[in-house]
Amino acid sequence: MSQTHEEQALAAAYVLGTLDPAERREFEAHLATCPICAEEIGSLSRVTDALAYSVPQRTPRPELRARVLAAVTGGSHQASSLAAGEQPSRGVAREWLPLAAALVLAAGLGAYAWQLQERVATLEVRLEDAERRAAASELATVEARRVADQAQTAMAVLAAPDLVRIDLAGQAPARQATARALWSRNRGMVFTATDLPLAPEGRVYQVWVVTANAPVSAGLLTTDASGRAAVFFNTPPDIAPPVAVAVTLEPAGGVPAPTGDRFLIGTPL
Amino acid sequence: MMWRFAAVSTRSGADWRQTDDAAQLARAAGGDGTALAALYDRHARGVYSIALRVVGDEADAEDVVQDVFAQVWRQAGRYDPSRGTVAAWLLTMARTRAIDRLRARRARPDSSAAPADDVWATRAASAADPADALTAERDAQRVRDALHELPMLQRLAIELAYFEGLTQSQIAERLGEPLGTVKTRIRLGLLKLRDALSERGTAGGMA
Repeated sequence: MSQTHEEQALAAAYVLGTLDPAERREFEAHLATCPICAEEIGSLSRVTDALAYSVPQRTPRPELRARVLAAVTGGSHQASSLAAGEQPSRGVAREWLPLAAALVLAAGLGAYAWQLQERVATLEVRLEDAERRAAASELATVEARRVADQAQTAMAVLAAPDLVRIDLAGQAPARQATARALWSRNRGMVFTATDLPLAPEGRVYQVWVVTANAPVSAGLLTTDASGRAAVFFNTPPDIAPPVAVAVTLEPAGGVPAPTGDRFLIGTPL
Repeated sequence: MMWRFAAVSTRSGADWRQTDDAAQLARAAGGDGTALAALYDRHARGVYSIALRVVGDEADAEDVVQDVFAQVWRQAGRYDPSRGTVAAWLLTMARTRAIDRLRARRARPDSSAAPADDVWATRAASAADPADALTAERDAQRVRDALHELPMLQRLAIELAYFEGLTQSQIAERLGEPLGTVKTRIRLGLLKLRDALSERGTAGGMA
Protein backbone atom coordinates (compact mmCIF):
# COMPACT_ATOMS: atom_id res chain seq x y z
CA MET A 1 0.00 0.00 0.00
CA SER A 2 2.78 2.37 0.88
CA GLN A 3 4.32 1.57 -2.49
CA THR A 4 1.16 2.64 -4.27
CA HIS A 5 1.24 5.83 -2.31
CA GLU A 6 4.82 6.50 -3.27
CA GLU A 7 4.10 6.09 -6.95
CA GLN A 8 1.01 8.18 -6.70
CA ALA A 9 3.34 10.99 -5.67
CA LEU A 10 4.90 10.83 -9.12
CA ALA A 11 1.60 11.51 -10.85
CA ALA A 12 1.91 15.29 -10.55
CA ALA A 13 5.33 15.36 -12.15
CA TYR A 14 4.13 12.92 -14.76
CA VAL A 15 1.20 15.01 -15.99
CA LEU A 16 3.48 18.04 -16.16
CA GLY A 17 5.81 15.97 -18.37
CA THR A 18 8.65 16.64 -15.98
CA LEU A 19 9.76 13.19 -14.82
CA ASP A 20 13.26 12.11 -15.66
CA PRO A 21 13.28 9.38 -18.34
CA ALA A 22 13.97 6.43 -16.07
CA GLU A 23 11.30 7.52 -13.61
CA ARG A 24 8.85 8.03 -16.41
CA ARG A 25 9.30 4.54 -17.84
CA GLU A 26 8.91 3.08 -14.39
CA PHE A 27 5.81 5.10 -13.70
CA GLU A 28 4.18 4.20 -17.00
CA ALA A 29 4.75 0.53 -16.33
CA HIS A 30 3.13 0.94 -12.96
CA LEU A 31 0.31 3.04 -14.38
CA ALA A 32 -0.78 0.24 -16.67
CA THR A 33 -1.73 -1.87 -13.67
CA CYS A 34 -2.79 0.66 -11.05
CA PRO A 35 -6.31 2.09 -11.16
CA ILE A 36 -5.53 4.46 -8.28
CA CYS A 37 -2.78 6.16 -10.21
CA ALA A 38 -4.85 6.15 -13.38
CA GLU A 39 -7.55 7.98 -11.47
CA GLU A 40 -4.99 10.42 -10.10
CA ILE A 41 -3.70 11.12 -13.62
CA GLY A 42 -7.24 11.72 -14.73
CA SER A 43 -8.00 14.36 -12.15
CA LEU A 44 -4.62 16.04 -12.54
CA SER A 45 -4.99 16.16 -16.32
CA ARG A 46 -7.86 18.53 -15.78
CA VAL A 47 -5.38 20.89 -14.12
CA THR A 48 -2.85 20.70 -16.94
CA ASP A 49 -5.60 21.21 -19.51
CA ALA A 50 -6.67 24.29 -17.59
CA LEU A 51 -3.08 25.55 -17.46
CA ALA A 52 -2.93 25.40 -21.25
CA TYR A 53 -6.13 27.42 -21.45
CA SER A 54 -5.04 29.87 -18.79
CA VAL A 55 -2.37 31.69 -20.79
CA PRO A 56 -3.14 35.14 -22.20
CA GLN A 57 -5.05 34.64 -25.44
CA ARG A 58 -3.47 36.15 -28.52
CA THR A 59 -4.77 36.13 -32.07
CA PRO A 60 -2.30 34.97 -34.72
CA ARG A 61 -1.76 37.08 -37.83
CA PRO A 62 -4.57 36.45 -40.35
CA GLU A 63 -2.04 35.47 -43.04
CA LEU A 64 -1.07 32.44 -41.01
CA ARG A 65 -4.30 30.66 -41.86
CA ALA A 66 -3.69 30.40 -45.60
CA ARG A 67 -0.05 29.49 -45.03
CA VAL A 68 -0.84 26.67 -42.61
CA LEU A 69 -3.72 25.20 -44.57
CA ALA A 70 -1.83 25.31 -47.86
CA ALA A 71 1.27 23.75 -46.33
CA VAL A 72 -0.64 21.09 -44.45
CA THR A 73 -3.15 19.95 -47.04
CA GLY A 74 -0.71 20.52 -49.89
CA GLY A 75 -3.09 23.01 -51.45
CA SER A 76 -5.10 20.15 -52.89
CA HIS A 77 -8.22 20.95 -50.92
CA GLN A 78 -10.60 23.83 -51.01
CA ALA A 79 -9.64 24.71 -47.49
CA SER A 80 -7.51 27.71 -48.25
CA SER A 81 -10.16 29.27 -50.44
CA LEU A 82 -12.65 29.42 -47.60
CA ALA A 83 -13.25 32.82 -46.17
CA ALA A 84 -11.27 33.19 -43.00
CA GLY A 85 -13.55 32.67 -40.05
CA GLU A 86 -13.97 36.21 -38.85
CA GLN A 87 -15.56 35.44 -35.55
CA PRO A 88 -15.12 38.31 -33.14
CA SER A 89 -12.65 37.10 -30.60
CA ARG A 90 -14.02 36.51 -27.18
CA GLY A 91 -10.99 38.03 -25.51
CA VAL A 92 -11.57 41.33 -27.22
CA ALA A 93 -15.24 41.21 -26.38
CA ARG A 94 -14.34 40.70 -22.77
CA GLU A 95 -11.94 43.59 -22.68
CA TRP A 96 -14.50 45.87 -24.25
CA LEU A 97 -17.40 44.80 -22.17
CA PRO A 98 -16.69 46.92 -19.07
CA LEU A 99 -16.06 49.97 -21.23
CA ALA A 100 -19.28 49.44 -23.17
CA ALA A 101 -21.18 49.02 -19.92
CA ALA A 102 -19.66 52.22 -18.57
CA LEU A 103 -20.69 54.11 -21.70
CA VAL A 104 -24.24 52.81 -21.48
CA LEU A 105 -24.34 53.79 -17.84
CA ALA A 106 -23.00 57.27 -18.54
CA ALA A 107 -25.37 57.80 -21.49
CA GLY A 108 -28.32 56.59 -19.44
CA LEU A 109 -27.51 58.86 -16.55
CA GLY A 110 -26.93 61.78 -18.92
CA ALA A 111 -30.34 61.53 -20.54
CA TYR A 112 -32.07 61.15 -17.23
CA ALA A 113 -30.35 64.20 -15.87
CA TRP A 114 -31.34 66.25 -18.85
CA GLN A 115 -35.02 65.33 -18.50
CA LEU A 116 -35.21 65.71 -14.76
CA GLN A 117 -33.02 68.59 -13.86
CA GLU A 118 -34.06 68.62 -10.25
CA ARG A 119 -32.51 65.23 -9.81
CA VAL A 120 -29.16 66.21 -11.15
CA ALA A 121 -27.64 66.44 -7.75
CA THR A 122 -28.72 62.95 -6.78
CA LEU A 123 -27.47 61.57 -10.03
CA GLU A 124 -24.14 63.24 -9.66
CA VAL A 125 -23.74 61.57 -6.34
CA ARG A 126 -24.55 58.26 -7.97
CA LEU A 127 -22.19 58.93 -10.80
CA GLU A 128 -19.46 59.81 -8.37
CA ASP A 129 -20.14 56.60 -6.57
CA ALA A 130 -20.02 54.67 -9.83
CA GLU A 131 -16.80 56.38 -10.76
CA ARG A 132 -15.31 55.61 -7.40
CA ARG A 133 -16.24 51.97 -7.78
CA ALA A 134 -14.84 51.92 -11.31
CA ALA A 135 -11.60 53.41 -10.02
CA ALA A 136 -11.45 50.84 -7.23
CA SER A 137 -11.93 47.97 -9.63
CA GLU A 138 -9.27 49.43 -11.87
CA LEU A 139 -6.94 49.53 -8.91
CA ALA A 140 -7.72 45.90 -8.18
CA THR A 141 -6.98 45.06 -11.79
CA VAL A 142 -3.72 46.95 -11.71
CA GLU A 143 -2.76 45.17 -8.51
CA ALA A 144 -3.66 41.77 -9.96
CA ARG A 145 -1.63 42.55 -13.05
CA ARG A 146 1.29 43.71 -10.94
CA VAL A 147 1.29 40.48 -8.95
CA ALA A 148 1.01 38.45 -12.13
CA ASP A 149 3.79 40.41 -13.81
CA GLN A 150 6.00 39.98 -10.80
CA ALA A 151 5.61 36.22 -10.79
CA GLN A 152 6.17 36.14 -14.53
CA THR A 153 9.34 38.20 -14.18
CA ALA A 154 10.54 36.05 -11.33
CA MET A 155 10.15 33.06 -13.60
CA ALA A 156 12.08 34.83 -16.32
CA VAL A 157 14.93 35.24 -13.85
CA LEU A 158 15.01 31.54 -13.12
CA ALA A 159 15.06 30.74 -16.82
CA ALA A 160 17.81 33.29 -17.50
CA PRO A 161 20.94 31.94 -19.18
CA ASP A 162 23.14 34.22 -17.07
CA LEU A 163 21.71 33.07 -13.75
CA VAL A 164 24.06 33.48 -10.79
CA ARG A 165 23.28 31.72 -7.55
CA ILE A 166 24.37 33.17 -4.25
CA ASP A 167 23.80 31.37 -0.97
CA LEU A 168 23.78 33.62 2.08
CA ALA A 169 24.79 32.51 5.56
CA GLY A 170 23.42 33.88 8.83
CA GLN A 171 25.75 36.26 10.69
CA ALA A 172 26.21 37.00 14.38
CA PRO A 173 22.75 38.50 15.04
CA ALA A 174 20.98 35.53 13.41
CA ARG A 175 23.18 32.48 12.92
CA GLN A 176 20.23 30.24 12.11
CA ALA A 177 19.08 32.37 9.17
CA THR A 178 19.73 31.32 5.59
CA ALA A 179 18.92 32.89 2.25
CA ARG A 180 19.46 32.41 -1.43
CA ALA A 181 19.67 34.95 -4.22
CA LEU A 182 19.24 34.06 -7.89
CA TRP A 183 20.51 36.96 -9.93
CA SER A 184 20.35 37.70 -13.63
CA ARG A 185 21.92 40.85 -14.98
CA ASN A 186 19.06 41.58 -17.35
CA ARG A 187 16.14 40.12 -15.53
CA GLY A 188 16.51 40.91 -11.85
CA MET A 189 16.83 38.91 -8.67
CA VAL A 190 14.74 36.32 -6.88
CA PHE A 191 15.52 36.34 -3.18
CA THR A 192 14.35 33.84 -0.57
CA ALA A 193 15.15 33.76 3.12
CA THR A 194 14.27 31.59 6.10
CA ASP A 195 14.56 31.88 9.88
CA LEU A 196 15.08 35.62 10.03
CA PRO A 197 14.03 37.07 13.38
CA LEU A 198 11.11 39.49 13.25
CA ALA A 199 12.44 42.98 12.54
CA PRO A 200 11.98 45.21 15.60
CA GLU A 201 9.54 48.12 15.50
CA GLY A 202 10.79 50.91 13.26
CA ARG A 203 13.41 48.76 11.54
CA VAL A 204 13.44 46.83 8.25
CA TYR A 205 15.64 44.34 6.50
CA GLN A 206 17.30 45.72 3.41
CA VAL A 207 18.92 43.62 0.68
CA TRP A 208 22.17 44.78 -0.94
CA VAL A 209 23.84 43.73 -4.14
CA VAL A 210 27.49 44.33 -3.40
CA THR A 211 29.45 45.14 -6.55
CA ALA A 212 33.16 45.84 -6.93
CA ASN A 213 32.31 49.55 -6.74
CA ALA A 214 29.73 49.79 -3.97
CA PRO A 215 26.73 48.12 -2.37
CA VAL A 216 23.55 48.86 -4.29
CA SER A 217 20.18 48.55 -2.57
CA ALA A 218 17.98 45.87 -4.14
CA GLY A 219 15.04 46.69 -1.90
CA LEU A 220 13.37 45.94 1.41
CA LEU A 221 12.56 42.51 2.73
CA THR A 222 9.40 41.72 4.64
CA THR A 223 9.25 38.39 6.42
CA ASP A 224 6.18 36.46 7.42
CA ALA A 225 5.49 35.43 11.03
CA SER A 226 7.77 32.40 10.70
CA GLY A 227 10.69 34.46 9.42
CA ARG A 228 10.39 33.48 5.77
CA ALA A 229 10.43 35.71 2.73
CA ALA A 230 10.34 35.22 -1.02
CA VAL A 231 10.68 38.39 -3.05
CA PHE A 232 11.47 39.47 -6.57
CA PHE A 233 13.66 42.55 -7.02
CA ASN A 234 14.14 44.53 -10.20
CA THR A 235 17.83 45.33 -10.05
CA PRO A 236 19.31 48.04 -12.28
CA PRO A 237 20.37 46.43 -15.58
CA ASP A 238 23.64 48.38 -15.74
CA ILE A 239 24.82 47.04 -12.41
CA ALA A 240 28.19 45.29 -12.23
CA PRO A 241 28.08 41.56 -11.38
CA PRO A 242 27.67 41.05 -7.65
CA VAL A 243 30.70 40.05 -5.62
CA ALA A 244 28.32 39.49 -2.71
CA VAL A 245 24.73 39.87 -1.58
CA ALA A 246 23.97 40.99 1.97
CA VAL A 247 21.03 41.73 4.24
CA THR A 248 21.25 44.43 6.93
CA LEU A 249 18.82 45.79 9.48
CA GLU A 250 18.09 49.44 8.77
CA PRO A 251 15.76 52.24 9.86
CA ALA A 252 12.21 52.00 8.46
CA GLY A 253 12.03 53.01 4.82
CA GLY A 254 15.58 51.88 4.12
CA VAL A 255 18.77 53.84 3.58
CA PRO A 256 20.91 54.70 0.52
CA ALA A 257 24.00 52.90 1.85
CA PRO A 258 24.17 50.13 4.49
CA THR A 259 24.56 51.32 8.08
CA GLY A 260 23.18 48.55 10.28
CA ASP A 261 24.20 45.06 11.40
CA ARG A 262 24.72 42.42 8.75
CA PHE A 263 22.26 39.57 9.21
CA LEU A 264 23.08 37.57 6.09
CA ILE A 265 25.91 37.58 3.61
CA GLY A 266 27.05 35.38 0.75
CA THR A 267 29.24 35.34 -2.33
CA PRO A 268 28.62 33.73 -5.73
CA LEU A 269 29.38 30.02 -5.92
CA MET B 1 -13.01 4.99 -37.70
CA MET B 2 -15.28 4.65 -34.71
CA TRP B 3 -16.27 7.83 -32.95
CA ARG B 4 -18.49 7.60 -30.00
CA PHE B 5 -20.49 10.70 -30.69
CA ALA B 6 -23.53 9.49 -28.86
CA ALA B 7 -21.70 9.18 -25.59
CA VAL B 8 -20.37 12.68 -25.89
CA SER B 9 -23.40 14.45 -27.24
CA THR B 10 -25.78 13.34 -24.53
CA ARG B 11 -23.81 15.12 -21.85
CA SER B 12 -25.23 18.57 -22.10
CA GLY B 13 -26.31 21.24 -24.49
CA ALA B 14 -23.03 23.07 -24.06
CA ASP B 15 -21.16 20.18 -25.64
CA TRP B 16 -22.07 21.10 -29.16
CA ARG B 17 -18.62 22.48 -29.71
CA GLN B 18 -16.85 19.29 -28.68
CA THR B 19 -19.33 17.20 -30.68
CA ASP B 20 -18.80 19.32 -33.73
CA ASP B 21 -15.02 19.33 -33.25
CA ALA B 22 -15.01 15.55 -33.12
CA ALA B 23 -17.11 15.42 -36.28
CA GLN B 24 -14.76 17.81 -38.09
CA LEU B 25 -11.81 15.77 -36.92
CA ALA B 26 -13.36 12.62 -38.35
CA ARG B 27 -13.85 14.38 -41.65
CA ALA B 28 -10.31 15.68 -41.59
CA ALA B 29 -9.10 12.15 -41.00
CA GLY B 30 -10.85 11.28 -44.23
CA GLY B 31 -8.89 13.96 -46.07
CA ASP B 32 -11.42 16.78 -45.97
CA GLY B 33 -9.54 20.07 -46.02
CA THR B 34 -12.57 22.19 -45.21
CA ALA B 35 -12.92 20.28 -41.95
CA LEU B 36 -9.32 21.09 -41.09
CA ALA B 37 -10.01 24.74 -41.93
CA ALA B 38 -12.99 24.70 -39.58
CA LEU B 39 -10.82 23.30 -36.80
CA TYR B 40 -8.22 25.96 -37.54
CA ASP B 41 -10.79 28.73 -37.30
CA ARG B 42 -11.97 27.49 -33.95
CA HIS B 43 -8.68 26.56 -32.31
CA ALA B 44 -5.82 28.42 -33.94
CA ARG B 45 -6.03 31.15 -31.31
CA GLY B 46 -5.70 28.78 -28.38
CA VAL B 47 -2.94 26.80 -30.06
CA TYR B 48 -1.04 29.96 -30.97
CA SER B 49 -1.43 31.39 -27.48
CA ILE B 50 0.02 28.42 -25.61
CA ALA B 51 2.79 28.11 -28.21
CA LEU B 52 3.65 31.79 -27.83
CA ARG B 53 3.64 31.46 -24.05
CA VAL B 54 6.20 28.66 -24.28
CA VAL B 55 8.50 29.80 -27.10
CA GLY B 56 8.10 33.53 -26.48
CA ASP B 57 8.60 34.37 -30.13
CA GLU B 58 5.89 35.03 -32.70
CA ALA B 59 7.62 33.43 -35.67
CA ASP B 60 8.35 30.26 -33.71
CA ALA B 61 4.81 30.22 -32.37
CA GLU B 62 3.47 30.37 -35.92
CA ASP B 63 5.67 27.43 -36.86
CA VAL B 64 4.24 25.52 -33.93
CA VAL B 65 0.71 26.23 -35.16
CA GLN B 66 1.69 24.78 -38.51
CA ASP B 67 3.28 21.73 -36.87
CA VAL B 68 0.14 21.11 -34.83
CA PHE B 69 -2.28 21.28 -37.73
CA ALA B 70 0.05 19.15 -39.84
CA GLN B 71 -0.03 16.59 -37.07
CA VAL B 72 -3.81 16.81 -36.86
CA TRP B 73 -4.02 16.25 -40.60
CA ARG B 74 -1.82 13.16 -40.40
CA GLN B 75 -3.03 11.73 -37.12
CA ALA B 76 -6.66 12.76 -36.75
CA GLY B 77 -7.51 9.09 -36.34
CA ARG B 78 -5.42 8.89 -33.18
CA TYR B 79 -7.69 11.18 -31.22
CA ASP B 80 -9.54 9.33 -28.50
CA PRO B 81 -12.56 11.30 -27.25
CA SER B 82 -12.68 9.36 -24.00
CA ARG B 83 -9.43 11.01 -22.90
CA GLY B 84 -10.46 14.61 -23.30
CA THR B 85 -11.83 17.21 -25.66
CA VAL B 86 -10.46 17.94 -29.11
CA ALA B 87 -9.42 21.33 -27.74
CA ALA B 88 -7.42 19.72 -24.95
CA TRP B 89 -5.79 17.38 -27.45
CA LEU B 90 -4.78 20.26 -29.70
CA LEU B 91 -3.39 22.29 -26.81
CA THR B 92 -1.46 19.28 -25.53
CA MET B 93 0.12 18.89 -28.95
CA ALA B 94 0.84 22.60 -29.12
CA ARG B 95 2.65 22.59 -25.82
CA THR B 96 4.65 19.50 -26.79
CA ARG B 97 5.77 20.92 -30.12
CA ALA B 98 6.58 24.27 -28.50
CA ILE B 99 8.68 22.64 -25.80
CA ASP B 100 10.48 20.57 -28.45
CA ARG B 101 11.47 23.83 -30.07
CA LEU B 102 12.54 25.33 -26.81
CA ARG B 103 14.76 22.34 -26.07
CA ALA B 104 16.25 22.39 -29.55
CA ARG B 105 17.03 26.06 -29.01
CA ARG B 106 18.66 25.35 -25.68
CA ALA B 107 21.00 23.23 -27.79
CA ARG B 108 21.16 20.64 -25.10
CA PRO B 109 19.59 17.73 -26.92
CA ASP B 110 18.33 16.09 -23.81
CA SER B 111 16.14 13.11 -24.25
CA SER B 112 14.88 13.93 -20.81
CA ALA B 113 11.32 14.86 -20.15
CA ALA B 114 8.31 13.09 -21.49
CA PRO B 115 6.81 14.52 -24.62
CA ALA B 116 3.32 15.50 -23.59
CA ASP B 117 1.95 13.28 -26.35
CA ASP B 118 2.91 10.32 -24.24
CA VAL B 119 1.11 11.87 -21.37
CA TRP B 120 -1.98 12.15 -23.50
CA ALA B 121 -1.63 8.58 -24.68
CA THR B 122 -1.49 7.16 -21.18
CA ARG B 123 -4.25 9.26 -19.74
CA ALA B 124 -6.89 7.16 -18.15
CA ALA B 125 -9.95 6.95 -20.31
CA SER B 126 -12.09 8.05 -17.39
CA ALA B 127 -9.78 11.00 -17.07
CA ALA B 128 -10.76 14.39 -18.08
CA ASP B 129 -14.47 14.59 -18.32
CA PRO B 130 -14.64 15.19 -22.04
CA ALA B 131 -16.91 18.01 -21.15
CA ASP B 132 -17.82 21.28 -22.60
CA ALA B 133 -16.05 24.45 -23.54
CA LEU B 134 -17.71 26.36 -20.72
CA THR B 135 -16.14 24.08 -18.16
CA ALA B 136 -12.79 24.54 -19.83
CA GLU B 137 -13.02 28.30 -19.66
CA ARG B 138 -14.14 28.24 -16.07
CA ASP B 139 -11.31 25.88 -15.19
CA ALA B 140 -8.82 28.19 -16.87
CA GLN B 141 -10.02 31.15 -14.85
CA ARG B 142 -9.90 29.19 -11.61
CA VAL B 143 -6.47 27.79 -12.27
CA ARG B 144 -5.22 31.27 -13.12
CA ASP B 145 -6.56 32.62 -9.83
CA ALA B 146 -5.28 29.66 -7.86
CA LEU B 147 -1.85 29.97 -9.45
CA HIS B 148 -1.59 33.51 -8.15
CA GLU B 149 -2.43 32.31 -4.66
CA LEU B 150 0.30 29.67 -4.57
CA PRO B 151 3.52 30.39 -2.68
CA MET B 152 5.89 31.88 -5.23
CA LEU B 153 8.33 28.97 -5.26
CA GLN B 154 5.55 26.41 -5.81
CA ARG B 155 4.23 28.44 -8.65
CA LEU B 156 7.65 28.86 -10.17
CA ALA B 157 8.37 25.13 -9.99
CA ILE B 158 5.10 24.34 -11.76
CA GLU B 159 5.65 26.98 -14.39
CA LEU B 160 9.24 25.95 -15.04
CA ALA B 161 7.98 22.41 -15.56
CA TYR B 162 4.90 23.15 -17.59
CA PHE B 163 5.89 26.14 -19.67
CA GLU B 164 9.68 25.72 -19.87
CA GLY B 165 9.72 21.94 -20.15
CA LEU B 166 12.38 21.50 -17.49
CA THR B 167 12.61 18.18 -15.70
CA GLN B 168 12.48 18.00 -11.92
CA SER B 169 16.23 17.47 -11.82
CA GLN B 170 16.83 20.48 -14.02
CA ILE B 171 14.59 22.62 -11.84
CA ALA B 172 16.39 21.43 -8.72
CA GLU B 173 19.73 22.23 -10.32
CA ARG B 174 18.56 25.66 -11.41
CA LEU B 175 17.16 26.58 -8.02
CA GLY B 176 20.04 24.95 -6.17
CA GLU B 177 17.64 22.92 -4.11
CA PRO B 178 17.37 19.26 -3.22
CA LEU B 179 15.39 17.24 -5.76
CA GLY B 180 13.03 16.11 -3.02
CA THR B 181 12.09 19.69 -2.18
CA VAL B 182 11.30 20.43 -5.80
CA LYS B 183 9.22 17.27 -6.14
CA THR B 184 7.24 18.15 -3.04
CA ARG B 185 6.63 21.69 -4.26
CA ILE B 186 5.39 20.56 -7.64
CA ARG B 187 3.09 18.02 -6.10
CA LEU B 188 1.69 20.32 -3.42
CA GLY B 189 1.20 23.11 -5.92
CA LEU B 190 -0.58 20.94 -8.43
CA LEU B 191 -2.82 19.41 -5.77
CA LYS B 192 -3.79 22.89 -4.64
CA LEU B 193 -4.69 23.81 -8.20
CA ARG B 194 -6.78 20.67 -8.43
CA ASP B 195 -8.57 21.55 -5.21
CA ALA B 196 -9.31 24.97 -6.62
CA LEU B 197 -10.94 23.35 -9.64
CA SER B 198 -13.10 21.02 -7.63
CA GLU B 199 -14.00 22.98 -4.51
CA ARG B 200 -15.81 25.70 -6.38
CA GLY B 201 -18.12 23.29 -8.13
CA THR B 202 -17.61 20.81 -10.91
CA ALA B 203 -18.94 20.30 -14.39
CA GLY B 204 -21.60 17.98 -13.04
CA GLY B 205 -23.12 20.73 -10.94
CA MET B 206 -23.88 22.89 -13.92
CA ALA B 207 -27.40 23.58 -14.99
